[in-house]
Amino acid sequence: MSPDAVSGLAGAWPAGRVRRALLRKRSRFGDGAYSALRWAGAGLFGAVVLGLLVGIGSDSSAAFAHSGVGFIWSGTWNPAAGQYGAGILVLDTLLTTAVAMVLMVPIGLGTAVFLSELAPRWLAGPLSTLIGLLAAIPSIVVGLWGLLVLTPIFANQVEPFLASVPALGWLFRGEAYGPSILLASVVLAVMTLPTMVSLSRSAFGGVPLADREAALALGATRWQVVRRAVFPAARAGVSAAVTLAVGRALGESIAVAMVIGNRPAIPESLTTPGATLGSAIVNQFAEASPGIGTSSVIALGAVLLILTVLVNAGGQALLRSGSGSQAHTAGALR
Amino acid sequence: MGRVFQGLCVVAMVAAVAPLVALVYYTVTRGVSTLSWAFLTHAPTPPFIPGGGISTAITGTAEIVGLAIVLAIPTSLLAALFLFERSGKLAAALRFSADVLTGVPSIIIGIFAYAVLVLPLHQFSTLAAAFALAVLMLPIMIRADEEAMRTIALDLWEAGIALGARRGRVARSVVLRGALPDLVTGNLLAIARAAGETAPLLFTLATPLAAMTLLIYTDGTQAFPSAQRTAWATALVLLSFVLLLSVAARLVAWRISRRAH
Amino acid sequence: MRAFRIDGRPAAPRVFALPRHVAGPLAVLAITVVAAGCGSTSASTPKTAAGSATPSSANLLGAAYDTSTPAQVTLNGAGANSIEPFFETVFYQYNQKNPNTTVNYSPAGSSVGVTDIQQGTVAFGDSEIPMTASQLAAATGGTVLQIPVDLGGVAISYNVPGVTKSIDLDGPTLAGIFDGSITNWDDPAIAALNPGVTLPNLAIKAVHRADSSGPGYDLDQYLIDTAPAWVTAIGTSTPSRTWPEASVGIGEQLNTGVATYISQTSGSIGFVEYGYALQNGFVNAAVKNSAGSFVAPTEASIAAAGAKATSLSPTDFNVVNEAGSGTYPIANFSWTLVYQKQTDTNTGIALGKLFDWVITSGQEDAASLGYAPLPSNVVTLAHNTILELESSTGTPLFSNGA
Repeated sequence: MSPDAVSGLAGAWPAGRVRRALLRKRSRFGDGAYSALRWAGAGLFGAVVLGLLVGIGSDSSAAFAHSGVGFIWSGTWNPAAGQYGAGILVLDTLLTTAVAMVLMVPIGLGTAVFLSELAPRWLAGPLSTLIGLLAAIPSIVVGLWGLLVLTPIFANQVEPFLASVPALGWLFRGEAYGPSILLASVVLAVMTLPTMVSLSRSAFGGVPLADREAALALGATRWQVVRRAVFPAARAGVSAAVTLAVGRALGESIAVAMVIGNRPAIPESLTTPGATLGSAIVNQFAEASPGIGTSSVIALGAVLLILTVLVNAGGQALLRSGSGSQAHTAGALR
Repeated sequence: MGRVFQGLCVVAMVAAVAPLVALVYYTVTRGVSTLSWAFLTHAPTPPFIPGGGISTAITGTAEIVGLAIVLAIPTSLLAALFLFERSGKLAAALRFSADVLTGVPSIIIGIFAYAVLVLPLHQFSTLAAAFALAVLMLPIMIRADEEAMRTIALDLWEAGIALGARRGRVARSVVLRGALPDLVTGNLLAIARAAGETAPLLFTLATPLAAMTLLIYTDGTQAFPSAQRTAWATALVLLSFVLLLSVAARLVAWRISRRAH
Repeated sequence: MRAFRIDGRPAAPRVFALPRHVAGPLAVLAITVVAAGCGSTSASTPKTAAGSATPSSANLLGAAYDTSTPAQVTLNGAGANSIEPFFETVFYQYNQKNPNTTVNYSPAGSSVGVTDIQQGTVAFGDSEIPMTASQLAAATGGTVLQIPVDLGGVAISYNVPGVTKSIDLDGPTLAGIFDGSITNWDDPAIAALNPGVTLPNLAIKAVHRADSSGPGYDLDQYLIDTAPAWVTAIGTSTPSRTWPEASVGIGEQLNTGVATYISQTSGSIGFVEYGYALQNGFVNAAVKNSAGSFVAPTEASIAAAGAKATSLSPTDFNVVNEAGSGTYPIANFSWTLVYQKQTDTNTGIALGKLFDWVITSGQEDAASLGYAPLPSNVVTLAHNTILELESSTGTPLFSNGA
């Protein structure tokens, strides 16, 4: 039987609940094994999710009991002195992510616009594949490049130069060590760029051709088409892109640990070393003293988990409101 | 205004491509000179004893990723079939969990694997590392699989059920076979991502020589030029492997779209 | 029940006929049980029944010592980053002599070594500072033996263009550098100690250990002993594994991080294990000891410090700021941590033989790697500690052949 004949047949069936009821009744016989396997798969996955949440929650509870909820925003992270406060780590995490977004979003958006609106098709394809390949580069390789290539350049050239720029110099004042919040932000920007570009492109691609043609028919220039017809319609998708990029940046730990300088103190400027939640976990988990020490590091993980889950849930919701089929590509293309 | 805007977009494009070019350039130029057949096939030696290589890291990564695939693929396929065929609160909750779990930082998955498999058994192990990577891949694979099934095979599935076939039979012969290229693409991308992860391996392996990503991390942070060269060369090997997987995934996707016409 | 399949051929008899609502959860349970029962596939010690092998009286250590061990054993260790150049070399050489014993060492830091041995996730740990009483009490496997295995020094290395020889530094000046009160290389305090050396007008970039460290502990001890201003600044006279002035300068992970930073950054100064400074070709400061001499780290000067440890033990281990014209003031022994009760006899024997070799023949390489050979009284202490290893039933694993 050809698929067409079959689907024609299927189309003649009653729809919705009645159809489901009929189908269910038909296939009750003889599906025990398959159904068991399906349950097993779903159950295993569910167990993993629950185990992760419960495990992190319970292992960090000792720290929260010891330090209270104020752990999340209060000051000093100094395990040797028994001071466990994630405040500065949270600050640095948000700061590096924010600066990374400031650097990355304009570039990502501009690239997406170029690829979807301005570039000829023979160019857009290969270029977007190229950007997509950037997504595949392991974060450790980006971190290695940041540590061995970018750090000397930043310490000796970039940071002193930025400190001398007239209007913005105060942002970059202070000793140019190299490893710094700025460098970590740059590395995060590089890593989140492909997500932004690909999701924004999808968002632009989802704008109906009719909208663009209508604008053109009214005499709009290319820029006006983008600004008036494409951007507004793609708003949800672009917001989703930014949100998911933020989620990725918040959770990146290894590459940041290699370039941030590990100083858990309030940064005076962007060229000061810092320490994020992720970098602190990388550097301190293995050596934390069992008991309150380990529990506090896991509590850092709990804070990070809550942050990223909230941000990612928001991003996924935005994606769904824009276009459902993009959801899975977001996961694979991180 | 239009010209300015177009110019800015071109600048943005260049700025986006530049890091990629720089990354590949530095990795290739700094890593290729250390690369050799001996380097790939010999075991590591202490810093000043020549003749060492990264064979343990290559085989280690292969073992860990291989084991992770064995753990993750059956589970993800079955869970995806579960989500595909069932509706209701449980399926919705699982789907939501998968979406959210794709965003969990990999370092947290590493902590989870440490707590579950290293601490109770009192040893670091390849299994713990593979478990961590499998947990990483699971949500990505599940969502990609389910989407593939929905877009490709929904009609075929309905047809199969309508003809009275058992669900298991329909799943096997119709859904999986029909969505196979998309499934392969999605899974290959997830595997490529997992193979490049370092954070989950940090707390689960006994020695940095057991995986390429970990070796890059420990050698790259050493001050000895020889160790840094090893790090670059290993990064080159890892990069090639991961890019190959990604390209393979895209090739599969491209062939489907060709066949569909 | 359907008697034929979709393509018309007869169906196979159904063997798995559970109703759906039972089959599902049952399968979940079954798979969970199977997964939990699967052993791990790690390269770790083979498990023999506890106490099944009676220790052979042929396991002699000392003069009648031989390297052969009965079984293939892989020993996983973790700990001090400072001892890594030494450990890596001697473990490789030992494996050449005895292919039955493979050693994996993860140089993640002294504190990691302590934590790992407390949790029992490694066969041995290593720490630049012996475990404290409370750390020993938290060890889950019973009594921990602490074996001194090497003698090393902490170099004060710097990267200043134009300064290619050792400059003299004393406690108060070093304290000023690391607490941020001395910020430039041409500061009068440094110049006063080094007449005749041209110091450039360059900002000092001080780098310290971001993680817990032995070198940090030693330098902290030295500064506490020699610089009252340091004690005031840090508010205590007890040295700490975690660098107390963490907000001054930059923090790097492990000796490797500090060494990388120093090699890349002009104007930097930091403290690293001498083995790393030697292999990177760093220029090191000549530090003032309690006899008033400015001594640079070398094998001889570190050995002189170790020679002062006449009554060494895990509770009396401090050899910082010793006197003597040629004594380097920042030195320490490195301590390997093993459980006294070894649940697996083969592992215990492999451990004992390995470390007895390390403290004797293994010391031949120490000097070329930037360490000093153990003084003979320390070798005796280490040897006697190894003899305390026992099986899970309490029988000693070794007899003394020395």
